[in-house]
Amino acid sequence: MTILPTPLAPAGRAPEQDSGARPAPRRAGRSAVPFGGHRRARHSRKAARAKLTPYLFLAPGVALFAVAILYPITQAVNMSFFDWQLIASATSEFVGLGNYVRALQDDRFWLALANSGIYMLFTVPPQIVLGLAVAILLKKRSPAQPVFRALYYLPVVTSWVVVSLLFKYLFADAGLINFALGDLLHVTDGATSWLANRWTALIAICALGVWKGIGWSMMIFLAALQGVPRSLEEAAIMDGANRWQQLRAVTLPAIWPAMLFVVVMLVIGGFNVFTSVLVMTGGGPGGQTEVLLTYMYQQAFEFLDFGYGSALSVILAIVVFVLAIVQLRVFRDRSGEAYA
Amino acid sequence: MTRSRITAVGLMAAAALTVTGCTAADAPSDGPVTITFWGSYGNGGNSTQQDALNELLIPAFEAEHPDIHVEYVDIPYDSLLQKLTTSAAGEELPDLVRADLGWVPQFAELGVLVPLSQEMEDFDELADATYPGVLATNLYEGEYYGLPLDTNTRVMVSNQAALDAAGLSAPPATFDELRSLGDAVKGTGTFAFAENKLQAWNIMPWIWSAGGDIADPDLTTSTGYLDSDESVAGIQLLVDLYVQDAVPNLIIGNEGATATSDGLPGGQYATILDGPWMRGVWSGQYPDFDPVYSTVPAGDGGSVSVVGGEDIVLTQSSENKEAAMEFIRFTQSEQFQIEMVKTGQMTVIPEFAAQQNEIEPFYATFATQLETAKNRLAIPDASKVDAILQEELLPAFEGTISVKEALANAAAAIDPLLPGAK
Repeated sequence: MTILPTPLAPAGRAPEQDSGARPAPRRAGRSAVPFGGHRRARHSRKAARAKLTPYLFLAPGVALFAVAILYPITQAVNMSFFDWQLIASATSEFVGLGNYVRALQDDRFWLALANSGIYMLFTVPPQIVLGLAVAILLKKRSPAQPVFRALYYLPVVTSWVVVSLLFKYLFADAGLINFALGDLLHVTDGATSWLANRWTALIAICALGVWKGIGWSMMIFLAALQGVPRSLEEAAIMDGANRWQQLRAVTLPAIWPAMLFVVVMLVIGGFNVFTSVLVMTGGGPGGQTEVLLTYMYQQAFEFLDFGYGSALSVILAIVVFVLAIVQLRVFRDRSGEAYA
Repeated sequence: MTRSRITAVGLMAAAALTVTGCTAADAPSDGPVTITFWGSYGNGGNSTQQDALNELLIPAFEAEHPDIHVEYVDIPYDSLLQKLTTSAAGEELPDLVRADLGWVPQFAELGVLVPLSQEMEDFDELADATYPGVLATNLYEGEYYGLPLDTNTRVMVSNQAALDAAGLSAPPATFDELRSLGDAVKGTGTFAFAENKLQAWNIMPWIWSAGGDIADPDLTTSTGYLDSDESVAGIQLLVDLYVQDAVPNLIIGNEGATATSDGLPGGQYATILDGPWMRGVWSGQYPDFDPVYSTVPAGDGGSVSVVGGEDIVLTQSSENKEAAMEFIRFTQSEQFQIEMVKTGQMTVIPEFAAQQNEIEPFYATFATQLETAKNRLAIPDASKVDAILQEELLPAFEGTISVKEALANAAAAIDPLLPGAK
């Protein structure tokens, strides 16, 4: 039973090997053409130009990256070491790590960081599980499939501000959620003030994050699922694997790189939560639902304390960077196991 | 002349023009100078004020001053502060700005505003004509950085049907009457009073009316003022009403609660405090609603409300300061003030108040309230004060600490922000 996949696997890869092998003789043929002296010179000029080509193609992107991303990042890091004065002609006082020390002693910063972390923890797993589930359901060809794909993807391309307002009204005291839970299902008394309390407000904000994000992870998983070799799935069925076993032993290992990508991106995205909090609670009540980016925004753009705001965003960048490295390590080890 | 020489001469001429451009304010130039004026008159899609400015007032000013051209740029209120901030950073501010009065100290501290009390010879004359509480919003470290442009204040607005249901014929005129209204609405599903937030704009009328304050007049300390027995009495009233469910949790910042603008006409809230602009909002959305206006309920300190409105400020980056100051003078004229009254703005000059109330009797309550209305802390960190009040008062409403403790915590956090303490 267990031997079945083995002979099938190379057969499945056979066409790839074929196509990979085909250009080889052509290359050999070309290199066989004899060169004269000046032809060689022209060839080397051509070669030099050919070498330059990829860099020319890269140049616009790199330039844009340097101007729009790299420069602001270095500026922000620079600003974080100063008591930054907004006006260019004013002198900013160098405070060294002062802004960072201030952050570590700032209870509001820790509350905001905790809220960002909670948001990440409660939105990433549901987006992965539900996104994968929807992708598996939508993988099967059916006439309605494109419609469902579009429907699930719709929240992803909808403006954050619009859906945040929508969820704000859904979770309002006299909103649809309270009506459904109270009058329809009689689970609660229907008088929950969702946005008046830290934890219930975070539930509402997380619900929005999950709802808006499922479509995105679904799209990535759908693409990855197309690449799962049919033969492996068939072999697993022949082996008598049930759906769960198929998923665990065949599908998941095959889409592992996509999973890694989704997890890393979602964790980064989770820590970057901003618009939904700003629109739904404004960080309230009394700053209880402030997340790191709304707190940074308040410090920089309301209090005009750009030095401290920059320090907060650098801290966020470091947290996200470290988390991404850790994830890549953990996943590399796991993926090694999965394929072993 | 060779081509390069022509270019050189041209460049020199351009340079000379640029240099003279900076001093054009002192010597009138040949062509009309253009001054740019940023504001948010057209906010909320209301074009009447913008139209009055563009079609009546600016043409009238230009007719009198043929050498000055005024360009008004309307910017939505919500994005104006951010636009001003980025423009200040880039040192590219317009000549004149209609600034929310809370922003004046903030921008004065940045050094981007011209101290009018130093630069305008007739400043004192113009300033003396305005309401003192409104003028005070321009004061920063001993100098005035602007002149009042329009003003407003918050008064009590009631829903008569809700008052009737609670057995009251008139709006509560004192703290005690508001407490009785709180008792009367018990179990009816109606709230006696509703408020949006716990910021200075929201709570200062109660603190002042109770006889308290947020800091001493010299702005050296908040401790001893914000946590005084009088200040405590003002907030205690709100907390007591909140605890007995006579004030909704909208006050602690519940974004999901019914807004005051909907709850009052809907009868869910019996009373609120709000400004004169609400009449326009309600006449569009709730044409059947007939709001009742009265002064803020009086405590031991009388009936004292909070000043709102806008100031006109001149920026340091203006290249035509004299021309811009001429327009500032025009905004203080009877023609400008009264024309704006017709579009729903209240005059900043008490001398025109009678004329204003004749044009629009509705303003009478607001004009009365303005006579005693006070300004919030005119300090660059006013937005931090708002955040502190919001955060530190929350536990008092949740019942975890006493009002006295909460106010003492807030005062301690505000102390280092006061210029007198720095």
